[in-house]
Amino acid sequence: MTDVHTPQSPGAEADAAASFGDKEAGLAGSSGGATGGPPAAEAGSTAGWLRWLWRQLTSMRTALVLLFLLALGSVPGSVLPQQGADPGGVQQYFASHPALAPWLNRLGLFNVFAAPWFAAIYLLLFASLVGCVVPRTFRLAGSARTPPPRAPRYLRRLPHSASYPSALSPDAAVAAAASMLGGRRFRLRRAQAADSGHWVSAEKGYLREAGNLLFHLALLGVLVSIALGGLFGYKADKLLVEGQQFANTPAALDEFHPGRLVSGSDLAPFSLTLNSFSASYYTSGDSRGQPSNFQANVTYTASPGASPATYHIRINDPLPVDSTKVYLIGHGYAPVFQVTTARGQVVYDEATPFIPANTGTLLSDGVVKVSESSPSQLGFMGVFVPTAVSVGGTLESAFPAADNPVVSLIAYSCKLCMNSAVPQSVYQLNTAGMQKLTATPHVLFPGQSWSLPGGNGKITFVGVKQWVSLAITYDPGQVPALVCGILALGGLLLSFLVRRRRVFVRAEPAAGGGSLVTVGGLARTDASGGFEDEFASLAAELLTVDASAAAAPGETKREPNNQSEAGA
Amino acid sequence: MFKAKRRTVVTLAAVPAALLAGALVVTLTQGNTKASGVSYINGNTNEIVYAEGHRALAPDFTATSLTGTPISLASYRGKVVVLNFWGSWCNPCRSEAPTLAVLDEQYGPKGVSFLGDDVGDTTANALAFTRSAGITYPSVNDAGYSVVQKFGQVVPLNDTPTTVVIDRTGHIAGLVIGAVSYQAMATILRNVVTT
Repeated sequence: MTDVHTPQSPGAEADAAASFGDKEAGLAGSSGGATGGPPAAEAGSTAGWLRWLWRQLTSMRTALVLLFLLALGSVPGSVLPQQGADPGGVQQYFASHPALAPWLNRLGLFNVFAAPWFAAIYLLLFASLVGCVVPRTFRLAGSARTPPPRAPRYLRRLPHSASYPSALSPDAAVAAAASMLGGRRFRLRRAQAADSGHWVSAEKGYLREAGNLLFHLALLGVLVSIALGGLFGYKADKLLVEGQQFANTPAALDEFHPGRLVSGSDLAPFSLTLNSFSASYYTSGDSRGQPSNFQANVTYTASPGASPATYHIRINDPLPVDSTKVYLIGHGYAPVFQVTTARGQVVYDEATPFIPANTGTLLSDGVVKVSESSPSQLGFMGVFVPTAVSVGGTLESAFPAADNPVVSLIAYSCKLCMNSAVPQSVYQLNTAGMQKLTATPHVLFPGQSWSLPGGNGKITFVGVKQWVSLAITYDPGQVPALVCGILALGGLLLSFLVRRRRVFVRAEPAAGGGSLVTVGGLARTDASGGFEDEFASLAAELLTVDASAAAAPGETKREPNNQSEAGA
Repeated sequence: MFKAKRRTVVTLAAVPAALLAGALVVTLTQGNTKASGVSYINGNTNEIVYAEGHRALAPDFTATSLTGTPISLASYRGKVVVLNFWGSWCNPCRSEAPTLAVLDEQYGPKGVSFLGDDVGDTTANALAFTRSAGITYPSVNDAGYSVVQKFGQVVPLNDTPTTVVIDRTGHIAGLVIGAVSYQAMATILRNVVTT
C-alpha cells in the first residue's frame, strides 16, 4: 500500500477526465502489464494471442478509433442520397454520375447504415465497449467499498501537511480528530491494537466512484437501449392525399424498415385519415415564400373499433399512438385528373401526387398513367405550377401556395405498353415505345379539359389536393436511451466534480507532556484545485477541536496517560 | 486478490459468451420460423399451404363493394372463398387478373366464390380495370387498407397482391404472395374443394 504515500502517476490522474482513462492501466495491472506489444513474452500460445487481441479490442485507443470511424462512416450518409430516405435522389445521382455511382453503390454508400462495413464498425465498437465497461464496473464497485488506507508514517511528506502541539494524550488527540472528521462524513479507519502508533485515516469523496460506476452502468444501458430499438423498432413512410385513409400494416406502407425481430402483426393497429393539410408561407420580406407553419389535420383510431380522435400533426409535434409516433416530414400537391374515353366512360379519376422539383416554389413533376383508356393506353408527363407566372413564354412558379395553379401536360399513347408484370414506380413513366400525341405541352387551369387527338377522349384537370408524407416510427429503446444518457451525464459530472481526498492524523507523545499532532492531506485528483483551502480549514478546525477537548472538564487523565505512553 | 482475478476471468469469458448467445438467438429467430402444419408449394415460400387443424380463422369484415353493395365475409360461410387483395395501380395485380378470371370460371361451379379486396385505389380506376380485365366477381372497396390490416394480424399479408384461400369453415387454408400462378392456386384449391 505504498502507493498512498506517493503522488499518483500522471496516467492515473487522467482518470477523471476520460471515461475509460485508467482502464488500460487497470487491465495491465491485473494481467502482468503486457498491454503494449504482442504477447511474445506470453509463451506464444493461442490463448495468449487471443488474450492480447481481446485486450487490444477493449482498449480505449481502439474504442476511440472505432468511434471516430463510426462518425467518419456516417458522413457519406449525410452527403450522398440514401436508398431508405431518398430513393429518388439515388436514381438522380445514378443518372448524373453514371461512372461513379455503380462504384459507390458497390461500397454500400447509398445505404450506409445497412452496409456490412458499417455494421462491422458498430459491432466491434459494441464489443469493445462491453468488454471495457463490464470489468471496469466490477473494479469500480470494489473501489467504492475499499476502506481508507493506513496512515503513512511520515505525514510531512504528503502534498499537504500541518502539525500542532496538543495538551491531550496521543490517543485522546486522535480520538478528538476522528470524531471531528467523522462528523464531516469522512470514512474513518482507526489504528488497531496490532498497529503501532496512534493514527486515524479519513477519506471522503466516494461519490466520485459511485458517479463513475453510474456512468459506466448507464453507458451499458444506452447500448442495450440501442439494441432494443434495432431489434424491436421499425420505421415506415406513407404518402397520403387529403381525404385518403391508411391502416398501419406493411402492405399499406410505401417504405417499411422493420427491426430484426419485427413482423407485420407487431405494428400498432391504428388507422389514420388525412382530413386536410394547410401550409402557411410568409408573404412579404426577405423570407417571402418561406414556410411559417405546416399542419396536417388527421382523424385516427388507435385500433379497429376504437372511437376516432382528431389531431393536428405539425413539424416536431408528431401524433403519438400506442408509443408509435407519426411525424409530418413532407408535403406537396396532388392535382386531380379525370380521363374519359371518346364514348364518355370514366377510365381514370384520381388525385395524383406530384413530387416537388423545386422545394422553394413547389414547382412539381408527376405522371398520369391511364391503362384502361381506349383505343390506346395513355401516359402524361406533367408539371404542376402552384402560382403560375409567365416568364418569357415559359411557366414559372412565383410562390409555393396554390394561388394560381396550372398544369402543363405532355400526352403519350401506345398499345399495351403498360402491361408489364414488374412493379413500377407510380412516379415515373417509361416513354420508350410511346408516341407523343402533340408536339407541345398543353396548359390546363382547374376545371379545364383537353380533348386529345386521335379519338383518345379527354383529360380534365378537376382541381388540386395536397398530400403529406408521414414517417411512422416505433423505437422502444428511445426512452431508456434518454434516461440512461441523462444518468451517464450525471455520473460523469459527479466523477468530475467530486474529489477523492484523504486526511491522516498521527499523534506522537511530546517530550514535555501532551502530544504532537501531525495532519497530512492528499487529494487523489485535484485538477480544479481547492483541496489546499479545504485542508487548511480542516487543519485549523482540528486544532480548535483539540483545544476545546483539552479544556473540557473531565479531561484529567492526561498526565498519567502521557506518562504511561512515554514509558511504553 | 485471487478472487478478483478469477472474477475478471469469468467476466472476460462471460462477455463474449453473452454476445455469441445474443447473436445466436437473433439468427435462430430470424430464419427458419416455419411453424408446423405449414408447407410451401415446390419450396416457394410465397406459396403457402396450411394443413387442416393449423389454419387461422379468417377475420370477418363488412365492407362496401365497388358498385355500392355491402358485403360481409360471414355471409360466405360454408363456401370456399378466394380473397384477392389487389389495386389497379399495381402491375403484378394487373398481370394476374386473367389467371384469376380463368380460375373463377373453372372453380365457380365447384362452389368456390371469388372476392376481390381493392386497396389504395379509387373506385373509378378500379372499375375501369375490372371492366377491361373481364373480372366479374365483386370487389370490396378497401382504399384505407382496413381489411388488409385485419388479415395481416393472422397471415403474412405484407404486400400487394396477395391471395388468400378460405375453407368452408372460414379458416385460411392457403396464401399466395405476389401474382398467383394457376398451378399454385389449383394445388391449394384441390385440398379444400374436395373436403
